[in-house]
Amino acid sequence: MAVTAGAGGRATAAGQAGGSPGPDRVRPVALRHFARLRLRITANGFRGRPYRVGLFVVGLLVGLFLSANGFLLFAVGAAVDRQTQLLIMALGGATLVVGSVLLPLVWFGIDDTLDPARFALLPISRGRLVCGLLVASALGVPAIAVLLATSGLLVPAARHGGPAGMAVQAIGVLLGLALCLAAGRAVTSALATVLRSRRARDLAWVVIALVAALVGPLQLLVVSAAAQADWDRVASVARVIGWTPLGAPYTVGLEMADGRPWAAAKLAVTVVALAGLLWWWSRTLESAMTGATSAAPTRTRGAVGRATASLLPRALPWLRPTPGGAIVAREVRYLWRDAKRRSNMIMVVVIGLFLPVLMLGLGLTGGGTGAGPTVTVGRPDAATPLVVLLMMLFIGAFVASTLANQFGYDGTAYGTHLVVGVPGRVELRARAVAYSVYLLPLLLVVGAVVAVVRGSPTMLPAIWGVLLAAYGAGVAVNLVVSVVAAYPLPDTSNPFALGSGDAVAKSALALGALVLASAAAAPVAVTAAMLGRWSWLVLPVGAGYGLGLAALGVLVGGGLVDQRAPELLAAVTPGR
Amino acid sequence: MSHGGSALTLRGLAKRFGDTVAVTGIDLDVPEGSFYGLLGPNGAGKTTTLSMAVGLLRPDAGQVKVLGVDMWADPVEAKRRLGALPDGVRLFDRLSGPELLAYTGLLRGMDPDTIDRRAAELLDVLDLTSAGRTLVVDYSAGMRKKIGLACALLHAPRLLVLDEPFEAVDPVSAALIRDILTRFVAGGGTVIFSSHVMEVVERLCSHVAILDRGVIRAEGTLDQVRGGRTLEETFVEVVGGRTATGEELSWL
Repeated sequence: MAVTAGAGGRATAAGQAGGSPGPDRVRPVALRHFARLRLRITANGFRGRPYRVGLFVVGLLVGLFLSANGFLLFAVGAAVDRQTQLLIMALGGATLVVGSVLLPLVWFGIDDTLDPARFALLPISRGRLVCGLLVASALGVPAIAVLLATSGLLVPAARHGGPAGMAVQAIGVLLGLALCLAAGRAVTSALATVLRSRRARDLAWVVIALVAALVGPLQLLVVSAAAQADWDRVASVARVIGWTPLGAPYTVGLEMADGRPWAAAKLAVTVVALAGLLWWWSRTLESAMTGATSAAPTRTRGAVGRATASLLPRALPWLRPTPGGAIVAREVRYLWRDAKRRSNMIMVVVIGLFLPVLMLGLGLTGGGTGAGPTVTVGRPDAATPLVVLLMMLFIGAFVASTLANQFGYDGTAYGTHLVVGVPGRVELRARAVAYSVYLLPLLLVVGAVVAVVRGSPTMLPAIWGVLLAAYGAGVAVNLVVSVVAAYPLPDTSNPFALGSGDAVAKSALALGALVLASAAAAPVAVTAAMLGRWSWLVLPVGAGYGLGLAALGVLVGGGLVDQRAPELLAAVTPGR
Repeated sequence: MSHGGSALTLRGLAKRFGDTVAVTGIDLDVPEGSFYGLLGPNGAGKTTTLSMAVGLLRPDAGQVKVLGVDMWADPVEAKRRLGALPDGVRLFDRLSGPELLAYTGLLRGMDPDTIDRRAAELLDVLDLTSAGRTLVVDYSAGMRKKIGLACALLHAPRLLVLDEPFEAVDPVSAALIRDILTRFVAGGGTVIFSSHVMEVVERLCSHVAILDRGVIRAEGTLDQVRGGRTLEETFVEVVGGRTATGEELSWL
């Protein structure tokens, strides 16, 4: 094998060219490789699938629209007084950063085009991998939208600070984008690690506490902003936020332009925060790369009773041993055992609980404060019940959106139903019942809490009626959506992963379903607000209306399942 | 019999994915009581063919008949008569073994007492009782194949369609599965399974078909197909593999 002696001086060169065994020279992986890989995967995902191109275009348009609004908001800052400018920049920037942490958690999921686990076998250092994944994630629609929106900051910076101010702000904008991306990735990655271990499933409630903790300060801010009398205090809050990583990258240009050169330290603040986030991310990345195998298996030996008795939960004695009953039992167990479904459900619970709390905190419902953006049509105390009921409308419809991709959560396991041949209506009715086992009590509790805190228990029947009507409408819409617009969830261990590319379009679809469901139940809410002391009638009417709509959804969606079950299976199969 | 002694009949079955033609017009007759092996290299279209046969994948053209019942015209009746173990399709693996069996049985509308009796027996025979309440997701690959097979057998079908039942299975479990399948055929059932392990097919099967690039290249009884040679020789010749010259990969 060795190079012959006659080769003389060319021996080493020949050896490196690959002629003989030994370690080959390795070129380092550049960041552009990650970027190109991500673009290639996205492009390949479109091949032969026009609907995905359509989804992508829709997502792009929605993103452009939102970013244009953001751009104007930040750019218009140039036209108003300095204090308001600072307010817009600090609060707007903070909203972006907090939003890029919260939105993936509660709704949108995170774009997982480049799954870290795929790199586990490659000799790439962790630091390089983190940077590469960050670069790759900057090539998605949400990242580009954020970049476009925040580039509006360059307008006031250039106007007041000249080219230098603009240059500093440009650095700030780029750092801000990196901060948003890193924050979203780090938090979801860390939570995924927590949620994955089945033994520590109760720790999932940590998430609730965390989100609640984040909602709290935000709420205080908005409340103080709403109390319009005290703009100075708001401005001072904004000034403080402007020095935290939340607002620093967005306010640096303006501060510099105002002749405060030490404000350049804000860039340092951002860089330190960014480095911290990347370090945190790289630590949790390790466990993401080794995957679910790291979770200790739950090896529960011991006596197993009758098979059917072990499937049907004892807590639900009304379940019959029929195909429908089996699906309800399986789905009820899955909502607890499957990390993806569990995190979806927990996020909905968080929103369902905290939106009313936020609303009550804002004083939208209390007759007393009267401040804030209350819809005052006629007498204020006539309008407030309507606002409460519209909020209930939204919550009821939102909670039902957990059903929107129920088949995607099954993945290829749905094939079991196909092999057996489960009738579509049985399938959908059972699934709706299983979700309702968790969601209906939640809705009733939320309604009761709102009624009690608001000090008007007589409104409770109306609140419940609207909640039930909206939930029924949401179930109906989302059952149909779950059949016609199912999409695969990537086969990763990250419960927040949302597949590649079209996250924005999927969210737009979910939003559309939410609007449609709210519109379908809106007449109940409006009627309830007008009925006055007869409003208790809304409970039976709303419950009946919701039940009727849900039944209609089962009927229509069930027919669709019967028609296109194999196509549904293909739609939820990952990697096709 | 109305179905002429054929447990599974495929006629002109075709499927393409985008530009890729997976299966081009397959005709196949699986006689009742036969132990049928479907051989083929990777990517030959075995999984596509069997998926269309059990109703997981809608064919572009062609017909599937299960014991005389058209799969795509009367899926409910056809699915009642067959048990299937698909490959590349997950089980509802967040259930324990007994729960999964109960689930499958109830979905098929079976009587709970029958389910309980048969589930206990199947778990016992397949040596899965000791797994207790372990979730199927924590099973080993071999255990997963076994619980999948148990689900396919639970309703006592007359036809079993198994996609790669011996893949990633340890020798002990493989012997067990072989034994169960042999008994199933001896009792009058029909089995068709895909594989690329020649030894297993040669040992078990009464009939063989060789599938390559979406076309059936050879079919018939085992002796007809191999015609005096070993099955492996026949297979390599039919499929047209290449043999190494010893020159390549010298850097290894």
